[in-house]
Amino acid sequence: MEVTLEKKLQGFQLVAQEKLQAILCSIPGKKELILEPELIKPLEHVCTASWLKLKGIQRIYKHDAKQRLPRAADLVHIYMIRSLLGPYQTLLRQLQPVATNEPSESTDLALRMFHIICVPNCYAYFHALLEQAGLWGVVQLHHYNWDFIYLDQGVLSLELPNLYEGLYLQGNSSVLPAVATSLRLLQMICGKPTVTITFGNHSAQLLQLMKALGKVPQPQNPPDFGAWLIIDRDKDYTSTLLTPAIYAGLLLEVFQLRAGEIIIDNANNKIRNQKVQLLQGKTSPPPNAVKPSCIRLNSDCDEIYGDNRYKHFAQASSLVRAQVKALGLELQKLNDMQLEEMHDYVARKLPKLTELKAKVLRHLNASEIVIQMLGNFRRLQTLEEDILNNVSRKRLLTEIDELLTTDGQRYNTLRLLCLLHLCAGVAPEELQSFARNYCNMFGHRELCVFQQLAQAGLLPVLVPERKSSAKLLSNLPLPKFQQTEFQANANRLKLLTSCADVEQPACGSSSGHPAIKSCPSFVFNGMYIPLAAQLCSMLLNVNSAEQLAAKLAMIEGLQLHVGAESNTPKAYAAQLKMASTETTDVFPLRLRNLFVFVVGGANYAEIAACDFVAKLTGAKITVASDTLLAGSDLIAAAFNS
Amino acid sequence: MESQFDNTDENYWNRSSRAAFSFDDEDDVDLGDAGVRGSSGHASQNSKWDNNSIFNDDTISEASFDNSAALGTLNHLSIKAILSDEALSLVLQEQTLDDHVMPKGVTPEEELKLLRRQIQSTLYSPNLEATAQKLLHGKVAPLEMFKSLLEKRQLLDMVLANGGDAIIGVLLFLKRTLNTTQFHNILQQRPKALEHYLSYLRQSGDVSHYIDILQRFGRHQEAALRQFQAAMTCSELTTRKQQLQRLVDAYASAGVGVISLYEQVFHAALKLQLVKEKEPVTGLAQQIGDEPTPIEFLYVCCTQNKNWKEQDMLKLSSPQRFAADQEISPAQYEWTALNERAHAQAYADLECIFERVSGWNPLKTKQFHISFDLSLAVQRLFELQAPATVLQLFLSKMSNSPEKLALAQRVKCIKAVIDAMVSLKQQQELQQLKETLPERSEEQFYCENALKLLQSKRWTTDNIKLKL
Repeated sequence: MEVTLEKKLQGFQLVAQEKLQAILCSIPGKKELILEPELIKPLEHVCTASWLKLKGIQRIYKHDAKQRLPRAADLVHIYMIRSLLGPYQTLLRQLQPVATNEPSESTDLALRMFHIICVPNCYAYFHALLEQAGLWGVVQLHHYNWDFIYLDQGVLSLELPNLYEGLYLQGNSSVLPAVATSLRLLQMICGKPTVTITFGNHSAQLLQLMKALGKVPQPQNPPDFGAWLIIDRDKDYTSTLLTPAIYAGLLLEVFQLRAGEIIIDNANNKIRNQKVQLLQGKTSPPPNAVKPSCIRLNSDCDEIYGDNRYKHFAQASSLVRAQVKALGLELQKLNDMQLEEMHDYVARKLPKLTELKAKVLRHLNASEIVIQMLGNFRRLQTLEEDILNNVSRKRLLTEIDELLTTDGQRYNTLRLLCLLHLCAGVAPEELQSFARNYCNMFGHRELCVFQQLAQAGLLPVLVPERKSSAKLLSNLPLPKFQQTEFQANANRLKLLTSCADVEQPACGSSSGHPAIKSCPSFVFNGMYIPLAAQLCSMLLNVNSAEQLAAKLAMIEGLQLHVGAESNTPKAYAAQLKMASTETTDVFPLRLRNLFVFVVGGANYAEIAACDFVAKLTGAKITVASDTLLAGSDLIAAAFNS
Repeated sequence: MESQFDNTDENYWNRSSRAAFSFDDEDDVDLGDAGVRGSSGHASQNSKWDNNSIFNDDTISEASFDNSAALGTLNHLSIKAILSDEALSLVLQEQTLDDHVMPKGVTPEEELKLLRRQIQSTLYSPNLEATAQKLLHGKVAPLEMFKSLLEKRQLLDMVLANGGDAIIGVLLFLKRTLNTTQFHNILQQRPKALEHYLSYLRQSGDVSHYIDILQRFGRHQEAALRQFQAAMTCSELTTRKQQLQRLVDAYASAGVGVISLYEQVFHAALKLQLVKEKEPVTGLAQQIGDEPTPIEFLYVCCTQNKNWKEQDMLKLSSPQRFAADQEISPAQYEWTALNERAHAQAYADLECIFERVSGWNPLKTKQFHISFDLSLAVQRLFELQAPATVLQLFLSKMSNSPEKLALAQRVKCIKAVIDAMVSLKQQQELQQLKETLPERSEEQFYCENALKLLQSKRWTTDNIKLKL
């Protein structure tokens, strides 16, 4: 039987179960599982409680960092935590009394009463720390990687929310091997792509790691993906920093996401939590007696989400509203029915309708909160558009500052400044005065954030002033015609669609669908095409390597990997020319399925834009990442230090 | 079904964590029943659902929310269809941490060979590639046989090339087996290794060592930041003050260059501590928490300030003095004071806040001055239910009449609407407006007057124009 790609991607769950089972079954005895709270939601995508029960888990607990769970003598405790040094050390401290109290009689590996499963990876130095804590021989370490979690059609996530912080802000590559292992598993399941394109250092490193991990057995089925595209987040910060205009994207702006599920909680949503409470206009948020509900961002479980996920928010919310009305009418029919009819109706149709109604109402509630929270959305959009196109920088700065004063949001205001820096450049002095006001607003302790964001290239680096004579010269106001790196690349790749000198959107022109004039930039109200989507449309539309090389010329850090060789697109095209006829060009792509992986968190605008490109070109694009984030989450990562 | 959706997990988890504390048998969630209940029919499910389904039970999941769609279809999908046996066993084998387990069913000769090779590599000559490979796969790999400095360096360079957690693992080994000079030399030459080491220190919470390393490698600005952060997280107020004082003194005199932003914030934080000590915050405690930000503190100062006409600049907690000390921008000061005064319904004080004596002519009367968009002020005042007269006062300062009209209409300030219409000479609209207003109300009189004025004025202005 031929297994479809979608099935295979869902099949990651089976592999994840198999792996978890292997660990659990290697531990004999009566077992109890203690889970770090953050792991619960993603784990629900791997298995159910009854499944765990079948594997010999008697009880499941939420791990409490403050208190150790007492253990009955005959029970084995299995802790499951994320591979982060902090939680790991806390756990070791909790377990430490165990080492002194009950010296383990047996040194047999299999008979340990404590086990720690680290997700996704048990770092080499964890063993050393275990030894130092005196727990060697008492506690057994394991590692477990659930690999890709299938969240929705065309959306995969590794659910590693701390990757961005470690990799981009601290320069710590510890988590990369786990990602490479997962990509390697994808290769085992879906086959090796004809061509892989990496953009950025981390992406290239991932590919190198995959090679270093060793050869994979040939899959039984023919390959599924024609090309892989691996992109570093910092190559396209813009698509994360801009506020998306599509339904799924805006839901994420306002609501907390946990493993493909958002929590609709008006009193405690992302935007509200970012503001200084004292300066809120209304006296207090409406006391919300309604219990927070959830929406699963999965079109298989929630058809309303499936219909609306990538639509423009205005369109989506009016559709939801219309649906609520239609359902209301449908339910009213009940009044006009005969008794028998009614019986039949109640038995057959009503349960379905009520379920649907509940779903629609949840969406209605969610979209209303979004509208309420975003406030003056149009003003924000104009501001973002002006930032993108670098229209009068000084005014933009004052406007951001005014926003900070009158509607300061801990992450989102900073996000605008970062966007401004990427698009137009912010001078260190300008940052200083902004930072001063920012610290007044949110507290002096946030001072470190600016250094953190500078590390990621999102803000300028502050340089100490030295009292020297050379200062005079640098103080001269020289006109700067420099483009920021973002602008250069965005112009080369034609990502900016709202500025005047782009006559025609780059996509859709050569795809053979002249009727469709719209463009993937709809995800940002026609301002910007996410880089991933643009690269996908190039890959799908070019007819030869030479054509691709021409389009991608001047883009630094982009590499083409065909077979075992890595080249720039230009070098590859040149090589093809030189070589004899037997080496055939990989373009045009014969297999029109693409796999996109974003290192450091993808966003729904990107995903929607890729989905759009796929529909336009009759291809299929799967977007995967370590996690899904909104712009505020990205900025929030800098606060975690 | 709906109720299931709503309380699937949260309830359970609250319960389960409670169970974890009390360990009461009755409270305990025994998953032993889960399967039985799941299959024992729908009636019992609904009542017991919230008790025992953390992850949604398979049997139910197909009917309602959960992983169902995936699980449902997966029931028909076998792992064999997507992954070959060979690949699966490789995946599972790579998951184990320890490689030392001897494969089953090997001949004695082969076993001897294997053991010999193992002894060779553990005792005598370390195998660089094999160790790096093991580390990459996350396996336990002994590093003790890397004795010479050269071997240690090679090992580090090897893992640096690949990246990953092995870098920190090897660094910690080097730190343990080399003296500080050698270790720092190695870090000095390898910036990437240094980044990893710093990241490790930061996560491990070893602040003093972290700062020490930053300083040693010339990253004084970062070190100062971390010191500042450490001081700020100090819960003991006197120690915090001491630490801040020390930092402020050291930073300026260290001779490593000064970032003025840092200097300013360090000073401001110290000053805030001093104010807090001298004039402790009272009231509003539940709204601002233990660590008020400067703006929050300013807000509190505003609530306590009695005299807005002439603020006592000698008092540390008088709003203007505090704002000046903390370098709070005029816009922030005005916005905070506006909010606080409007909240306290002390609208008369608003005029004092937005008053500026012009610098070049002190004799001139005080002028209205605002540092942010007027319309924002009007909107906020409206939200805070300020009376129409206050709104009118602010609206009257707006020069752009069409905008003023739109805003006045939005905040339902009739008099300002009338004013705007007058300046736009919308006589007809005024007439219409007048008819909608309640008979003999103040607004109606105002409107009538405005109409009269407009009618008489129309000629005069035109006359002036003609003359010009």
